[in-house]
Amino acid sequence: MIRLQWLDYLATLRERKTWLCGAMLLYAVLSIPVMLARPPAHVQEAIAAWFGHGGPFVLFMYVWIDLAMNKMVAFLPVVLASGIVLRERDVGVLSILAAKPLSMPRYFALRAVSACAVMATLHVGAQLLGLVYFTARVPGFRPLAFLAAMTPHLFAAIFATCFSAAIAGWVKHRGASALIGLAVLGLLLGLSLIGFYQPAWRNLTLVNPMSLGALALGNLDHLGPKDLAPPMLALSLLSLAAIAIGAAGVRRMEA
Amino acid sequence: MTTTHAIEVEGLTKRFGEVTAVDGVTFAVESGEVFGFMGHNGAGKTTTLRMLLGLTPLTSGTARVLGREVGRETIEIRRTAGYLPAHYTLPPDMTPRQFLHYVGAMFGLPRDVVAARTEALLRRFDLVHAADRALRGFSTGMTQKVGLAQALLNEPRVLLLDEPTSGLDPLGRHELLELLRELARDKGVTVVFSSHILSDVEALCRRVAVLHRARLVAFGDVDHLKAQHGARTMDDLYLALVRKEAA
Ligand SMILES: Nc1ncnc2c1ncn2[C@@H]1O[C@H](COP(=O)(O)OP(=O)(O)O)[C@@H](O)[C@H]1O
Ligand SMILES: [Mg+2]
Repeated sequence: MIRLQWLDYLATLRERKTWLCGAMLLYAVLSIPVMLARPPAHVQEAIAAWFGHGGPFVLFMYVWIDLAMNKMVAFLPVVLASGIVLRERDVGVLSILAAKPLSMPRYFALRAVSACAVMATLHVGAQLLGLVYFTARVPGFRPLAFLAAMTPHLFAAIFATCFSAAIAGWVKHRGASALIGLAVLGLLLGLSLIGFYQPAWRNLTLVNPMSLGALALGNLDHLGPKDLAPPMLALSLLSLAAIAIGAAGVRRMEA
Repeated sequence: MTTTHAIEVEGLTKRFGEVTAVDGVTFAVESGEVFGFMGHNGAGKTTTLRMLLGLTPLTSGTARVLGREVGRETIEIRRTAGYLPAHYTLPPDMTPRQFLHYVGAMFGLPRDVVAARTEALLRRFDLVHAADRALRGFSTGMTQKVGLAQALLNEPRVLLLDEPTSGLDPLGRHELLELLRELARDKGVTVVFSSHILSDVEALCRRVAVLHRARLVAFGDVDHLKAQHGARTMDDLYLALVRKEAA
């Protein structure tokens, strides 16, 4: 099973859509310092209002998470996972693979885990590239706080991938699955930072899994394991639940 | 199990809503034979094979593959079966070698076993020169070779082939029939050869089942059936069966 998962991951890495996602992330990394040099006025105002005198690093992290990585997390998981199993069925690969000794739910889980692993590879790759590039280009950049803050965000990206896969498992139509995934993830991400400027809603936003990935924004000065671990654990459990739910959806699917 | 039957099918029925695709079909396939599974387009051949592999649930009736109950022991059946569907696509971004390794991993076979079988199959099907080229853009003949190779990777005891000669040129067709004879003779593999091409079945199979509009219209030894219906050739036999059904 581990061997199969590894081969499936490699196969997923080689797919064209993975390269498309990689290119988008590369663009995000390269464009942020440029954008940050002259932030749009509305962003500056908003940040001043929400974070007060957070300094340039807080401004940078806000821009990186809200304008770059959250947009990516609304989009890339849909590209990677909204068609899992459905694409194999539509293309005709499933006619062969479905006759192998792997039930449809197991095959779904295999593909979903590979999509997550590719999402994780791309996410980590983007943060590491960012680490090098931002250290050179962003005044006041703090590498350790950056990595700490982006770790829960990685788990949010993985959850978003599982979530998109789960939609595929129940909707069973590629176009509809992608549209629903984009709409729901877009909405969740759009609302994910609301707790920062409406402190009264802070607790309410915690039911939004996407907020868990950005909680660290509120606490960049002293991020420790006890800030980071709970959202990561919660997102991991939600990810597993999403895969299980998606797998249940394909139980009766035929090639 | 003491049966010498590799496959036993009894009263097998499949309905898709209003359409009855397979209607109370009963037949048995002996171990190690190349069995002809005949019928016009839409007769119910594909649906029957898909039920045997647990790819679609059966509506009623029972079936056993190597003594294992269809619908209950699906995973065990698939472990010992090879299947080549009539219509399929190979993963366009993989190479033949990668794909065979992937299929081997799906069976949970040890890595060195998969590697050895892959190389043997690539040689057997004359695919070594193309083994590391992406499958996208493979010709029909080459695709069919990779399709057969993946069906043989687990060294199946039962091989279910759905119209495997369609789309092959005469040489490819000849080689395939030769391969199937060899598998049955030398390895004792039971082959179910589904086809609407009468000459292929005649060249390959001693025993057949004939489906017509979802129903079994004949089953048994070809020579017997010919004598019984006063037919000299397979064409005569098939026409006699179908006309009798229409009457
Ligand atoms: N998934 C399906 N839904 C509805 N009808 C189907 C489905 N699959 C097959 N059929 C119908 O069942 C009948 C038998 O089809 P099939 O088994 O493919 O025949 P064959 O393989 O002998 O050409 C046909 O009438 C076909 O239209
Ligand atoms: Mg068919």
